[in-house]
Amino acid sequence: MQYAIRMEIAYDYDHPAAFSRQVLRLLPADLIGEQQVTMAQLTSTPRPEEWFTGTDFFGNRWDEVAYTAPHETLIFKIDARVTRLTPRSFLDVSPRLPDLAREIAGNRSLDPISPHHFLGRSPRIALYPSIAAYARTAATYTATCFEAVRALSEALHRDMTFDANATTADTSALEAFENRHGVCQDFTHVMITGLRSLGIPAGYVSGFLRTVPPKGKPRLEGADAMHAWVRAWCGYEMGWIEIDPTNNMLAGSDHIVIGRGRDYADVAPVRGVMRSSGEHTSRQSVDVVPLF
Amino acid sequence: MLKEFLQDYRPLQGAPDELMTADGRVRPVWRAFMDRLAQIKPEEMVLRMSRGDQYLRDAGVFYRRYEENEASTRDWPLSHMPVLIDHAEWEEIAAGLGERADLLEAVLRDVYGENTLVDQGLLPAALIGANSEWLRPLVGVEPASGHFLHFLAFDIGRGPRGDWWVLGDRTQAPSGAGFALENRMATSRVYSGLYDNTDVTRLAGFFRMFRDSLMDLRGDDNSRVGILTPGPLNDTYFEHAYIARYLGFMLLEGEDLAVDKGQLMVRTVNGLQPVSVLWRRLDASWTDPLELNEGSRLGTPGLLRAVRNGNVTMVNALGAGIMETRALLAFMPRLSQALHDRPLRIPNIATWWCGGSEERNHVARFADTMTLSRAFSTAPEADHDDTAFADLSAPELAQLLESRGSELVAQERVRLSTAPAFVNGRLQPRPMSLRVFLARTEQGWAVMPGGFARIGGGHHPDRLSMQSGGQVADVWVVGGNTSDAETMLPKGTGRFTRKQQTALPSRAADNLYWLGRYVERSEHLMRVLRAYHARLAESADDDAPLLKMMRSYLARYGVDTAKPPQAALLPNLNAANACAGQVSDRFSVDGSAALAALRQAVSALPADLNSGDDTARALSTLLHQISGFSGLVHDNMYRFTGWRFLSLGRAIERAGNGGHSLAEFLAPKKPYGALDLILEIGDSAMTHRRRYSVGTNRASIVDLLLLDNQNPRAFSYQIDLIKEHLKRMPGAETSGRLSPLRRDVLRLHTDLALLTAEAVDHRLLSGLSGRVDALSDHLTQTFLR
Repeated sequence: MQYAIRMEIAYDYDHPAAFSRQVLRLLPADLIGEQQVTMAQLTSTPRPEEWFTGTDFFGNRWDEVAYTAPHETLIFKIDARVTRLTPRSFLDVSPRLPDLAREIAGNRSLDPISPHHFLGRSPRIALYPSIAAYARTAATYTATCFEAVRALSEALHRDMTFDANATTADTSALEAFENRHGVCQDFTHVMITGLRSLGIPAGYVSGFLRTVPPKGKPRLEGADAMHAWVRAWCGYEMGWIEIDPTNNMLAGSDHIVIGRGRDYADVAPVRGVMRSSGEHTSRQSVDVVPLF
Repeated sequence: MLKEFLQDYRPLQGAPDELMTADGRVRPVWRAFMDRLAQIKPEEMVLRMSRGDQYLRDAGVFYRRYEENEASTRDWPLSHMPVLIDHAEWEEIAAGLGERADLLEAVLRDVYGENTLVDQGLLPAALIGANSEWLRPLVGVEPASGHFLHFLAFDIGRGPRGDWWVLGDRTQAPSGAGFALENRMATSRVYSGLYDNTDVTRLAGFFRMFRDSLMDLRGDDNSRVGILTPGPLNDTYFEHAYIARYLGFMLLEGEDLAVDKGQLMVRTVNGLQPVSVLWRRLDASWTDPLELNEGSRLGTPGLLRAVRNGNVTMVNALGAGIMETRALLAFMPRLSQALHDRPLRIPNIATWWCGGSEERNHVARFADTMTLSRAFSTAPEADHDDTAFADLSAPELAQLLESRGSELVAQERVRLSTAPAFVNGRLQPRPMSLRVFLARTEQGWAVMPGGFARIGGGHHPDRLSMQSGGQVADVWVVGGNTSDAETMLPKGTGRFTRKQQTALPSRAADNLYWLGRYVERSEHLMRVLRAYHARLAESADDDAPLLKMMRSYLARYGVDTAKPPQAALLPNLNAANACAGQVSDRFSVDGSAALAALRQAVSALPADLNSGDDTARALSTLLHQISGFSGLVHDNMYRFTGWRFLSLGRAIERAGNGGHSLAEFLAPKKPYGALDLILEIGDSAMTHRRRYSVGTNRASIVDLLLLDNQNPRAFSYQIDLIKEHLKRMPGAETSGRLSPLRRDVLRLHTDLALLTAEAVDHRLLSGLSGRVDALSDHLTQTFLR
């Protein structure tokens, strides 16, 4: 499936920002065997005085932009064409949880895809007993690691309400979980917390979701903004799988990846610091249209 | 004599004592010193100790102590008894720790590089992957200097068999080197006469070597070395300021720095200036909110860009803190074998990481001989938070190890050696550990000869930390010296060179400027309040027109005359103290002390002080004190750029207040007594009597307080002063033209010079303070952004 993706993120400052520096992770990733980028363009208004591009530890592309002239608004625009390949179908060949622990202990790698990065705490994830207990309950009647992942996604989808206005980018997983509501970021953080407390390595994927559903299918939640979902490591043989708890589905041809990390902090679309005295507001619009 | 002196001193069972052998003989290294110490009478000893304490108080040495929700400052807990170590033994310690420093460097290079140690199974991947000090953005980044470690510390202790053990590695931003220096200063005062006659190795040589090494790391002579501090709220900020002053480096906070085109710069009153070496006293994860801890307000966005570009050397490299991970101690013996093909020259305390099943079984079996703590914790050994693990039953422990093993580490419970400490005037053995500092130089690792010792508050060996009542002692390396006293001062025979003047960071300038303003504002308020209360005492009518006018004048400063004067003065003095605290590396110790004393005097005023005479008298006393402060600062401070900002703050505040009072008290319908009042507030009554044969009239006052540029209280005088300061400031001229700020001041100066007293109308007086405010804004934009 090929998509045309357009996005605009705008910031309005109460007082002109005297200086700002941002790290952006906004462009779709080129992933061999998963998705192919034919065109990707990022523009910024005003033009930054400095602009660097790099690849982070987990292999995500990032842009660092710095502005030294005072500015009252800042607009980032994305224009991209991406072909998302149909994911392979697979059998559940994942180990049972105790065997997964043994596989992890025997793993001697710190490559970006090593499970060791995705257990325990990370910048936005702490292990809360309440989420751990919930995850244990959800996974009670599961045999394999993959079944546990599916069960937790299903439970969260059932028990948590999607609410675009209930939380912010800084809401903790615990707060979202206790109120049983949130957006894709909250669903994802709660599920990562649950999986890690079960001993299943879990990370965060940021990306886009097809805006207009295929004929006869319901519109997916989170399609009018950037999206996020979970990846979990299900042992050597099965490897990493991606699952979207907000919609309780495996990430498929409707999910377009931007970046992968341990949690939101690793792949935040815009991370920035500005010297400005006042508040700011932001606007975001996303359009993901299938071409054929 | 000595026998008598030590008659109560008994080494503890099961632990060696530094001073005494098990059979009660004083060890040779202590002998000569103890003989002399025994001859000092107890009364004299009390005096000597208070001399040391007095030194620390005068120098402002303190540390912050964290209590629930608040931090307070405490006296530095100096143990007045030094710990003596023989130089031959010290050299062995130094050699062992040098080897260990090389080992840590090699491990760091691997975990931020090829990761062969993990690949080969010598280090568990989980210990690195789940470690918050393993900073992924730094993986693969080669340090600019070629080294990760430049300055580090080790905590060591002497075990039951008399050999030394490493208790912890401090590679992040070890504190204490400056405190060691202050301990030495204080202790040498306690033992004046004895210290000089004991062959003690001096500390200054170590600091000189380290300073020179940092200077050499710059690469180019125009860039600077800075010390990066988290700021005045940090528990060791005093030390940061002290060491910056001692070594002559700029003390910087994250917001002083900016990254411009990939180069690290410091914002100064001369604009951006390059910084190429940063000795950081800030934990790495706080240094760059853009790529590391996003919540940090202490860092510099883009710092990692500069680090990656290879034009700034971090001391130590960002990410080096991972070597403090307690669980890593378990792997050091085999890492030493694998990387350097030799055993550890000084072993570390026996440690088991509970992430492995064999280790878990061992720990469960011998739990009663071990302490259990967090694997990733980097707190000093003495600060173990193991209370949560104490008193676990065997099944509870087994369950904990099974479920959270990889987060836990077990360490052998050791009895450290004891050293003598004064307890109620008598020496008693107390558990001890040493902190030893190493600095990388061109010739290899330099080891500070001494460092400091932590002395436990009781017999319990686990209670060494200062936070739990312990003390710190100076460490004397004795013998083997023939060299003269070393100090940081240039040698008498050498060529005299002035140290390069460093550019003033904008934030420091801003604080000095506001310090000047707040102190001057306090003085002005004291004068007006005194005048008010003196008149209140004489007046039968509280609503006399003059009193009403004064109340409305004071209301403009937010002062309510119904409240005691401290309500008006304390906010200003608190702000002044806060400014002084921000620039303690640049502001004189005497000045800070005087300011703190003034604030103290104001807050000690009785809350129910009677309005009128009593208050007026109290304010007179305070005015003497604040004049004393101003004299101290303005007469004694070197005329460097920082002083100019302090002085500018005072001049601008004084001009503004002068403008306000002229406009208010010379208003067309002024009540009777306003002319004398303004002379009193302007502290110019005496001058007026001498200069003018007439009594006070409007013209004579305008002449004296507005136009007279010989009267230090006159408006004109302040404008002249501002003009002179700006002439000597950076950026005074650009291509031969005056800066816009200077043009503004010149215009004001010229307007005043052309006036005669008779021509001054009320409209002009009302406009004065506005023109001063504009100058202040302009100044802020030019220098303090």
